[in-house]
Amino acid sequence: MHEAAASSVQFIDLNLTNIAFMFIVGFIGGLVSGFIGSGGAFVLTPGMMSLGVPAAVAVASNMCHKFPKALVGAIKRYKYGQVDIKLGLVMAASAGVGVQVGIKIQEWILKTWGQAGSNLYVSLSFVAVLVIVGGYVFYDAYSISKKGGNEEATGLAQRLQKINLPPMITFKTANIRISLWFTLPIGFATGMLAATIAVGGFIGVPGMIYVLGASSLVSSATELVIAFVMGFAGTIKWAMNGMVDIRLTLIILAGSLLGVQLGAIGTTYVKDYMIKIVMGTIMIIVAVSRGLAVPRYLTDLGLLSAGPTTLNILDKASFIFMCLALAIGAVIILGAMWRAKAAEAKQAATVATAEETYGRV
Amino acid sequence: MNFVIGKGKHCIANQLQGAAPMKSRIDQFMSNPREEAEASLMAKGLSVPAELARTNRKILVVSQEAGFSDSVLTYALNLAERLGYDLVAVNVGPGGNGQDWLGAPYRKLRQARFRLQARWAVRRARQRLAAKGLRFEHQVRFGTLGSVIEELNRAQKRIEFVLNASTASEAEMLGGVTLPVFTIKAIQGERIMAQQEARNWKLVGRTVGWGLATAALYAAFFVDSGAVMKYFTRGGLYAALPIATVFVFSYIHGTFAHLVWEVLGIRAPQQTVQPRPTAAERPARRQRPRPRLRLNV
Repeated sequence: MHEAAASSVQFIDLNLTNIAFMFIVGFIGGLVSGFIGSGGAFVLTPGMMSLGVPAAVAVASNMCHKFPKALVGAIKRYKYGQVDIKLGLVMAASAGVGVQVGIKIQEWILKTWGQAGSNLYVSLSFVAVLVIVGGYVFYDAYSISKKGGNEEATGLAQRLQKINLPPMITFKTANIRISLWFTLPIGFATGMLAATIAVGGFIGVPGMIYVLGASSLVSSATELVIAFVMGFAGTIKWAMNGMVDIRLTLIILAGSLLGVQLGAIGTTYVKDYMIKIVMGTIMIIVAVSRGLAVPRYLTDLGLLSAGPTTLNILDKASFIFMCLALAIGAVIILGAMWRAKAAEAKQAATVATAEETYGRV
Repeated sequence: MNFVIGKGKHCIANQLQGAAPMKSRIDQFMSNPREEAEASLMAKGLSVPAELARTNRKILVVSQEAGFSDSVLTYALNLAERLGYDLVAVNVGPGGNGQDWLGAPYRKLRQARFRLQARWAVRRARQRLAAKGLRFEHQVRFGTLGSVIEELNRAQKRIEFVLNASTASEAEMLGGVTLPVFTIKAIQGERIMAQQEARNWKLVGRTVGWGLATAALYAAFFVDSGAVMKYFTRGGLYAALPIATVFVFSYIHGTFAHLVWEVLGIRAPQQTVQPRPTAAERPARRQRPRPRLRLNV
């Protein structure tokens, strides 16, 4: 049965353009996910599909590259003392349930309203979640940077941490003690969003920051653990059906392993709120991109009438915005790293001058 | 006018002033002799003789490695600045008297490498010294430490004492050395500049090695991707193939990627890396590169 499934799938031929595209997007996606814990998938999957890769193969190959990338990033950031493994595993377990529920909802919508309805549902949840959460993340990052750059746990998180609802769990690295009952819904929502829009981190990381009260550094690092567990489980499922195109996976991996390490190093250079700025920016731009895709689905459902030329332009604009989101995220990260590095060099020069003058301290 | 160079500038200054009060003898140990001599000459409207400006007192710093550790150099630098002495740094390489003709080409090669490395290592020291306006001379010699020091003592006038930065036994130094020798023991594990340079090359080598391994792995997969795809997409238990593959790739290519950023100097700054919670309970480690002195007379 598996063989039949695989033989019916058309795997694409590779050429230099394809390879270069996937390598570069892999690198930038890796950079962003090393920094904010997730990202890259939302460009890679539609990108691969535009190259002619069947949807299932694109999703499977992407997922197969996601978990080793997350693993490498998580190990790197664990060395920097940013990963809370316990929090990651608890979240991943509840996210697993969330994924199953998310898939069930997707199937029900597909059955009731068809493909266009399903696409509309996906796009609308994209826009709704990203605008609300991304907007708040961005606003928060902006106000922190105004105040001088020191993060504090939100009032909500502090109140939740005070509620003694057993079982209480202590997360050492995140430095929080909170009831399991507040942790599970965050993981569940992460999983549901992952099943719907393929980027669970857009709700997981803000959830850990604003609801549980972890720092954005720890949250984004811990998200990599969640991504690893979920990606690994998902890959097993897809690979059992023979859908993983290992060639695509390896090409993306070539770029993304370089990127994810650079992103992880980047987190040690910048202030915490930079993670929020990058995440908020990307989420809002992606929301715009998905918003541009809504008219097509509305037309498909007969709720709106738009010409094919308009829809084509909107489709292209949607994809360009998607790439833009990733590119802008990468530029912010690299710019922040560059500035931090320059400041460090300047400080080192000052220390050296001081040592010349006063002797070694 | 007759200057007595050998006994220090105060003799000059005192001769000019006529008397030698006790205070100036104390000052001799407290101040920069050359500057003061020059100043007193200038005050009397005399020009500073070139001879006086040329032969200042000197500190000789010797090392048997192709470089000086940072703390030794800093110590010597500060001392020279405080005393107003010049600094003569000498790297003493493994010697040869020319008798051993069989090993001569190899020895020459080693010595050439040593010379190159020592000159490379001393570059930064030069900059630091130039910033302080200290006079500095660097030499590379070959032979035993004792004989080189004596040789230099004869050739260079007014070497006051020797700072020994090498790990050589002091017995070797005693052989014929007529100068006071201070041995500086740099704190353990301190990086010697020349060695750090060498270590970077090692890093480059490792990066190239892992890079080749990665390239080989990619080549192995893409040389016959048709056959690979045939088995990898069979599904069922064959799912283990792509999963195992990405693990292997993430290890080898991941290590290579890590090294690439290391070589490029992009690594996490130590102070921003958050310590693990358990590490915070330990007492803070202090780094005090304070050289220990031992007088050897």
